[in-house]
Amino acid sequence: MRFSGTLLTALVISLSAAALPGARAQDSDTPVTPASGEQGLAEWEGIHAVFAHPRCANCHVEDDQPRWSGESYGKTRVHAFNVRRGEDGFGNAGLRCSTCHSEENSAVLHGPPGAHAWHLAPAEMVWFDKSSAEICAQIKDPERNGGRSLEEVANHVRDDALVAWGWNPGPGREPAPGSAEETFAAIERWAAAGAPCPEE
Amino acid sequence: MSRLGTFTRRAFLLGAATVAGGVAVGYWYYRQPYPNPLEDELAEGEVTFNPYVKVSSDDTITLIAPRAEMGQGISTTLAAFVAEELDVSLDRVTVEHGPPSYAYYNAAMLEEGGGFNFWDESFTAETVRGLMGVAGKMLGLQATGGSTATRDGFERMRQAGAAARIMLVDAAAARLGVAANELATENGTIVHRASNRSLTYGEVALDAAQIKPPSSVVLKERADWKLLGKSQPRVDMLDKVTGAPIFGIDVRQPDMLFATVRISPVFGVAPVRSDISAASAMPGVVKIVPIETLYGSGFGVIAENTWAAFKAAEAIDVEWGEPGYPKANDEIMATFTQAARSGDASAMRDDGNVDVAFADAPQERVIEAEYSVPYLAHAPMEPMNCTARLKDGVLDIWAPNQMPVLVRWFCSDLAGVPGGKTNVHTTSMGGAFGRRGELDYALYATLLAKETDGRPVQVTWTREEDTRRGPFRPASAGHFRARIGEDGLPVAVDMRIAAQNMMSSLMGRTFPSLPAGGSDPSITDGARNQPYTIPNYRVSEIQVPLAIPVTFWRSVGNSVNGFFHEGFMDEIAHAGQVDPVEMRRRLMADFPAAIAVVDKVAEMSNWGETLPAGKAKGFAFTLSFGSWCGQVIQIAETPAGIKLEKMWIAVDVGMAIDPAIIEAQMTSGAIFGLSAAMGQQITFSEGVVEQSNFHDYDAMRIFQAPEFEVAIIENFHRMGGVGEVGTPPAAPALANAIFALTGKRIRQLPLSREVSFA
Amino acid sequence: MNLTVDGKSIEIDADPEMPLLWALRDIAGILGPKFGCGIAACGACTVLIDGSPVRSCVLPVGQVEGAVTTIEGISSPAGLHPVQQAWLDEQVSQCGYCQAGQIMTAVALLEEIADPTDEDIDNAMGGNLCRCGTYPKIRAAIHRAASLKLARS
Repeated sequence: MRFSGTLLTALVISLSAAALPGARAQDSDTPVTPASGEQGLAEWEGIHAVFAHPRCANCHVEDDQPRWSGESYGKTRVHAFNVRRGEDGFGNAGLRCSTCHSEENSAVLHGPPGAHAWHLAPAEMVWFDKSSAEICAQIKDPERNGGRSLEEVANHVRDDALVAWGWNPGPGREPAPGSAEETFAAIERWAAAGAPCPEE
Repeated sequence: MSRLGTFTRRAFLLGAATVAGGVAVGYWYYRQPYPNPLEDELAEGEVTFNPYVKVSSDDTITLIAPRAEMGQGISTTLAAFVAEELDVSLDRVTVEHGPPSYAYYNAAMLEEGGGFNFWDESFTAETVRGLMGVAGKMLGLQATGGSTATRDGFERMRQAGAAARIMLVDAAAARLGVAANELATENGTIVHRASNRSLTYGEVALDAAQIKPPSSVVLKERADWKLLGKSQPRVDMLDKVTGAPIFGIDVRQPDMLFATVRISPVFGVAPVRSDISAASAMPGVVKIVPIETLYGSGFGVIAENTWAAFKAAEAIDVEWGEPGYPKANDEIMATFTQAARSGDASAMRDDGNVDVAFADAPQERVIEAEYSVPYLAHAPMEPMNCTARLKDGVLDIWAPNQMPVLVRWFCSDLAGVPGGKTNVHTTSMGGAFGRRGELDYALYATLLAKETDGRPVQVTWTREEDTRRGPFRPASAGHFRARIGEDGLPVAVDMRIAAQNMMSSLMGRTFPSLPAGGSDPSITDGARNQPYTIPNYRVSEIQVPLAIPVTFWRSVGNSVNGFFHEGFMDEIAHAGQVDPVEMRRRLMADFPAAIAVVDKVAEMSNWGETLPAGKAKGFAFTLSFGSWCGQVIQIAETPAGIKLEKMWIAVDVGMAIDPAIIEAQMTSGAIFGLSAAMGQQITFSEGVVEQSNFHDYDAMRIFQAPEFEVAIIENFHRMGGVGEVGTPPAAPALANAIFALTGKRIRQLPLSREVSFA
Repeated sequence: MNLTVDGKSIEIDADPEMPLLWALRDIAGILGPKFGCGIAACGACTVLIDGSPVRSCVLPVGQVEGAVTTIEGISSPAGLHPVQQAWLDEQVSQCGYCQAGQIMTAVALLEEIADPTDEDIDNAMGGNLCRCGTYPKIRAAIHRAASLKLARS
């Protein structure tokens, strides 16, 4: 079988999400008032600024190629070297994500960034090139967010090592705005405000 | 140049010498008085012996390839020359790169530098070729470049092999008490069939050393060749699949230190302020020393290991001076474009009367276009490096280099050591493409070796230094006009090409006291000397003085002008509504070798077939380094961008010594040209190069490589080069295909400025 | 620290932040992996760690967990590795500098996919740059190596 070791990793990751069959988004539980709606949308704007930031969106792609952007990379482009998602999201035989991306950022300018379990987000969790409304709908949809409640989404943002990388992306890269803790809190407030999504 | 003609060309005589346990055969080289400024440097050693083959008593046969192996397979081909006449198979021999010696000079390299067309065999052209060959000797060029090595070694190395064989046979004849003509040779053994006795070459090697070499030898007829003309397994292949330590960075000497350099990113300036204290205090750092040379100024960082050196070099706090050239890329490129439009031009080809032909041209019959190409780095896989040791008055240099004689000369001078006490060891090169004909890496290593109390020091550049410091392939701009006749063919073509004078740039960093004016044929190479007959045909050179260092880059001026000339020819064909291949057939009618190549590549690629929507082909042709090369590329539009599907190459090399190596070089040259055409450019911001490593100065990758089909033709009566001729037509073939596919005429490289590639 | 390289245990006295490449080359004297870019953009330094391809020029030596295999450790007393043999048979190398890395990536590919398609090859080898343009021969050699390997097993 191909990728026996990494397939296992992928299974563990997907099982951890699937192990929560009762988990559902909370938006239907919280009444949305006009005031909380406005406040909720404002919270969403802050969350969206993080999710749509290249440090996050470049690896939340719909196709199977991560993106590169930033100074000295020109306009946003597909990751060089024909890097692909692969069957498990961790790359292909011979060119795994871990071939270049280790547990920590390379200290060298233009060297590969790194964090634990470097890989592409599943294709259904697409943020790259998507509107604020589309990202918002995806985040709330358990079919497309790994079966997570918004509480679990918030926890994931706060606790996951690869997510945390977005705020500590290594030399020469602009970090995502805010921090993991702030984004966690914003998601909590947004959920509490009824998790409203923008029109577009 | 006239005084150079006064010394004799009979400087070589076949010779032999006794070496440890055997015989060495090659050429004695008698130095003649040199009426030129380099005389002092060449004065040592009135007589030098340069072996091409050594046979030892233990039957070890060593062939010496005086040209450097940078990937082009030359060690195999040069060894095959000797082995063919010596009558041994290549698996019986060891191949070594020769030490630097003036007698291993490369006459062929400069023979094509005189500005004459390759097909021109007039008295003047031949005389100038001879003189340029002499200039090669003057410079002591044991150079590897200009796709010349095979042509240069063809006679001399076969003669050495033949002479060695004759001497070994004579020695065997004496030992066996029979006549030499009763003996035959079979792969390293001398056989007397009549008595069923035999001797190996090794068994008679010491005797052979006592025999006077023949004054002349008769070389095998081509029909009798066993090795030449057939593909040979490369002698370096096993090393190169086992990771053998054959490259410059693999040199290891006892007690060796490691180092790197940090040289000014602004060309021609020194630091205006610097602080090395923090960097000097970093772990593993031994010493940081200033470097000041004509190539560049900055710092050398000596350390316990390469990584410590890299880190400390980065930590040096330094401010550099202001550039003496425009700071912004647009300004730099505008200099060339302006010069191409209106600068003072010298016609390098001027057939008919171009001014008259345009004077009465109806406007609708005239097309006009401006082309440009950027500066390019060479980016060989092995970054610049050199290992040096200065101990007990002897300088040893281990370097992947294309110019060992110049390395010895400059480094011995810098170290204050006589040339005779300077040893240059040329390693295998991890690519070169012209870059290792420069001397900076060796100069820096020599300077650092002066600081290490006799310890050897290996100086490895970072990829960033390698990418940004130049010298670069010159940028260039062209302004072109054509008048199209009633039959759709060009009546008049006027090409004005503006670039820096590469020789001035080179001389400025090597021999600044020597005058380096005059024309630079490389500015128009690939445009002025193409086998087209057009009634009014002018190609002019316009020199642009700029302090950005430029140098040879695989195929040199042809890499620029192949694109300009063949792109514009495609425009002419389109304007005249003539098929581009058909137009070449008509314009090249005077050159049967060219026609044969055009016909062959058209046939291979099924040129003219109707392609499905979203696919197209492009054609280009360049005569360079004596070989005639036509290419067709087929491309396809895909959602991810343009995909290169297949390239067909037909090349007339005159005589094909090793078909497999020629085919590999054609593919290699084309991929090199396509890589540059698709995406490479060196640009400037604030006077500093913007690109730094393979993330922003990449080359073609395997998933982008087209399929290749190569046909080798042997029509022309002179042997052409191989290593560079695949490069010039690649860019225009691709640009012309893109025009056919999209209708977009791209006149500025890289093509990725306007289209994207899958 | 202690590393297992090509089946041998070696002691490395280095800053744990030093990339594995330089620990191998400048400290352990293992010269098969080459330096090309220092940012994992060319593949010349590729080694295997527990069978997976890794660019040794960016991996801190202190992070190495597992057995390191370099180009010097893939042949056996019985002869060349099938990938090396295929490279020899197809006469792939020109300058040869990138080929140690190309071969190591191909070895890793064939461990996962016994008979790779052209697409598999494109998906595996894009991180290994060759400036001599030996790609058509690399492709042919990988297919040949797959056959050799299948024939041997």
